[in-house]
Amino acid sequence: MLLNRENSGERWRKRRDGREKVTGELRYLTDMTAEGMLYGRVLRSSHPHARILSLDTSAAEAYEGVIAVITYRDVPGLNRFGIAVPDQPALCEDMVRYIGDAVAAVAAVTPEIAEYALSLIRVNYEVLETITDPLRALEDTAPRLHPQGNVLHRTQVKQGDADTVLQNCTYVVKEVYSTPRQMHAYMETEGGLFVPEPDGRLTVYAPTQHGYKDRMQIARILDWEEERIRVISSPIGGSFGGKDELNVQPYGSLLALKSGRPVKMHNSRMESVRAGLKRHPMRIEMETGMDEHGRLQAHRVRIVADTGAYATLGAPVLNFATEHCMGPYRLQHVDVEGVSVYTNNGVSGEFRGFGGNQAIFAMEGQMDRLAEKIGMDPWEFRMLNRRLPDDPGPLQQEIWRTNGLEQVMQALAQSSLWQRRTVDSALPAAVMTGYDPVTSASPVPPWIKRGIGSSLAMHGAGLGYGIDDPAGGRLSLNAQGQIEVAFSYEEFGQGLIATLEIMLMDLFHCTAEDISIVIGDTDLVPHSGSSTASRSTTMAWMALQRLKTPFLQAVLQKAQEMTGIPIDQLTTGEHGIWQMITEEGEEMSRKRVVSYREIAGVTEDKELTFDTKFSYPTTPDEVVGGHFLYTYAAVAAEVEVNTLTGHVKLLDTYHTVAAGPVINPMGFVGQIEGGSVMALGFTLTEDAVMEEGHYMTRNMDTYMIPGIQDMHTSLEVEVIEDLPENDSFGPRGIGEIGSVALAPAITAAIRQATGQWISHLPVPREQLIQRAGRWQQEGVSPR
Amino acid sequence: MKATSMQWQAVVNGKAQEMEIAPSRRLLDILRDDLDLTGTKVSCEIGRCGACMVLIDGQPMNSCLMMAYQCADTEITTIEGLHGETESELHPIQEAFLEEGGFQCGYCTPGMIISTKALLDRTPQPAEQEIKEGLCGNLCRCTGYGGIMRAVESAADKCAHRSSLSPTAGLPMK
Repeated sequence: MLLNRENSGERWRKRRDGREKVTGELRYLTDMTAEGMLYGRVLRSSHPHARILSLDTSAAEAYEGVIAVITYRDVPGLNRFGIAVPDQPALCEDMVRYIGDAVAAVAAVTPEIAEYALSLIRVNYEVLETITDPLRALEDTAPRLHPQGNVLHRTQVKQGDADTVLQNCTYVVKEVYSTPRQMHAYMETEGGLFVPEPDGRLTVYAPTQHGYKDRMQIARILDWEEERIRVISSPIGGSFGGKDELNVQPYGSLLALKSGRPVKMHNSRMESVRAGLKRHPMRIEMETGMDEHGRLQAHRVRIVADTGAYATLGAPVLNFATEHCMGPYRLQHVDVEGVSVYTNNGVSGEFRGFGGNQAIFAMEGQMDRLAEKIGMDPWEFRMLNRRLPDDPGPLQQEIWRTNGLEQVMQALAQSSLWQRRTVDSALPAAVMTGYDPVTSASPVPPWIKRGIGSSLAMHGAGLGYGIDDPAGGRLSLNAQGQIEVAFSYEEFGQGLIATLEIMLMDLFHCTAEDISIVIGDTDLVPHSGSSTASRSTTMAWMALQRLKTPFLQAVLQKAQEMTGIPIDQLTTGEHGIWQMITEEGEEMSRKRVVSYREIAGVTEDKELTFDTKFSYPTTPDEVVGGHFLYTYAAVAAEVEVNTLTGHVKLLDTYHTVAAGPVINPMGFVGQIEGGSVMALGFTLTEDAVMEEGHYMTRNMDTYMIPGIQDMHTSLEVEVIEDLPENDSFGPRGIGEIGSVALAPAITAAIRQATGQWISHLPVPREQLIQRAGRWQQEGVSPR
Repeated sequence: MKATSMQWQAVVNGKAQEMEIAPSRRLLDILRDDLDLTGTKVSCEIGRCGACMVLIDGQPMNSCLMMAYQCADTEITTIEGLHGETESELHPIQEAFLEEGGFQCGYCTPGMIISTKALLDRTPQPAEQEIKEGLCGNLCRCTGYGGIMRAVESAADKCAHRSSLSPTAGLPMK
């Protein structure tokens, strides 16, 4: 089904949190203020790699209007943070390892004074060699950035004997792919308000993707009991993985406690660029061989990921890339090695797609090159080599079987966009010339080339085997007579609140007003894990499946006690409990017999409150990081390349996604469209350029995210909602799947249009600019 | 402070405002910090992203680039000043963004809606290319602009319908 407003009927609903967004009434956490509030600013390192010889804050402390200055000496607990490996200093002691490292922080009565006070802090550095190239970092002579050396993590997958088989393959394609340091570029930069409470607690109002994880990390830094800290973490002005790790929280918390006053932090865009996470730049070398019939035989992969100065989730990102660099294909002989390397380039970490984007770009690039080598249609070639439904996962682990892969492959093959592709692409540069369905009246100038490409992805969801991946939730009838759910998931724009509302209306046939949704506050919500890895929709759905029966039973029991009507005639509905009356020979009638509010009025505290705890489903096989649930997607893209300027324009785009039933169609379409355009930036324009450890692209004028003029001409989202009959995992998350497969489809289209194979992202425009001689052959004379 | 301050006055969302401030104070800070109108957002602070877009005498302007002296004695409309025929009703543009999913995190939305207002005041029935030109100064990282395009097209229809019902309602906000 093509997913759009027309085809969605009443399920296309205005978002519950929408009105306050379109009116500007919504207070984001960075809009908050408090009486007596101070402004916090952080002094970042002047050098990407240096030893701190001395640190003198006395002049800043003495400046009028400065209330608190902090350095590492003011950190009572562990002076480190990091979700997986706490190796990043909250405030550096003796070394700085990247340009965003924090050396000191100031709270002052105005932002101007705080900013000025930073300039009064004297730091003497001994500048050290800057490691900008991960390959240099791996050399024995490179300085060691961490006590254990410069390797954060290594991965390895070996099956069969790839080296020997590759030597005997009829066709082998070898290529090195490289991908950019993409920035999340959420519109709301990091920030928040930190309030010391009169009862000795601390309230942290700061966006994150996992409030409880922030609470744990802040408690570890402060050396406090976690319960003394309250983290309020939604609403959020975008995250995409980028606010998963701590950012300003250590400084806001420490400054608030030292000054005894509320402290507001809000990064400027330039500070956000300087200190914030990015997507791992990866260098992926692939050598893939097939037999004379086009069957894949062996696959050799070497991944080098630039993880920057600190770990955060660099290791799991590499695990994910390793798992996904084999694609949804049957491969007998596999030899994959990955290494994630510390450098002095920023910090790379979690970002929508989580290492899949880079791996899929490389693997799909191989598939297109191999297909062309043997003269096969690229989609038929993929069809020939696809995994079958009963095959194990890429790491030979047991995975949940669905027909998703088959279904997306068929859907794409039948899409009008793919069928429009000229099969005869023997002369790639000339093939598409002169064909323009939009303005067929005017001939297309010969320097404009068009092509269509496609790609395929299977993408794991959840954190994977061996990683704590808790889920849960709470369902209750609250004191106001509303059906209330509480989760520790966060709303960063993806539409969690809207999706929960639709799920509850589906389950209880109630109205939106009968529902209360509680998220984003560690004082109010149960532990149900993070909003990452495309997991929240599935987890919320599974939690509600577990909770609905005990909840319904208890609520209906209560209604039976109040009304005397037998429970089997009662059901939940609009504003209360309804009696369903079926009398012989007559149509069923229904009437409301008691309201939710009336039930709440006679309910003891917590009597109608139900909790559940479980974990995200994992593979039974002991393969660390291996996934169990996968979503499948196929993408086709048509591009227009201007070979005078090297400009690439994305035209028609098609995404088909097999992710189970669609709960929230507006949210689903939004995730695919948004993910797709984010991937367009990854492919064509985005790169946080660094030179010698310093960012050269420091704001949105040079870091180019797509604008409205860059978007596709059209984008179709076709959804495949079927799941196997025994499937109990419900709707799969789709927060990432829209962003992982567009790049290789675009580069395949560029190949068809221009004859150029692209292996580096963002696409180097200079590679697409053709010499005038080419057009002369096509009848154009230069002036 | 006398030497570096000015008596600044302007009409903000229909209400006269007067204050003594530095002539170089950014309109963005006047709105967010002095007037507590936090619907106008701060994001790039160099006039690229449009999150801080407001109308100054009906023209869309990045309030991060506008200093107090430059916008003294003007009429300023922020997102808080936009509404339907009554103050509690949504403006048709806001309604369209809500219906079409023209936002996700919502942080770019006030600026996006202000730019749409300026566009539709100028070009009531914009062609696709005119929408793209009208909104090319507003960045959105969530939606991929699909919902925004649909919202603007729908808003144009709604505004046209409304002005056909009431000849004054489609005119620029006063």
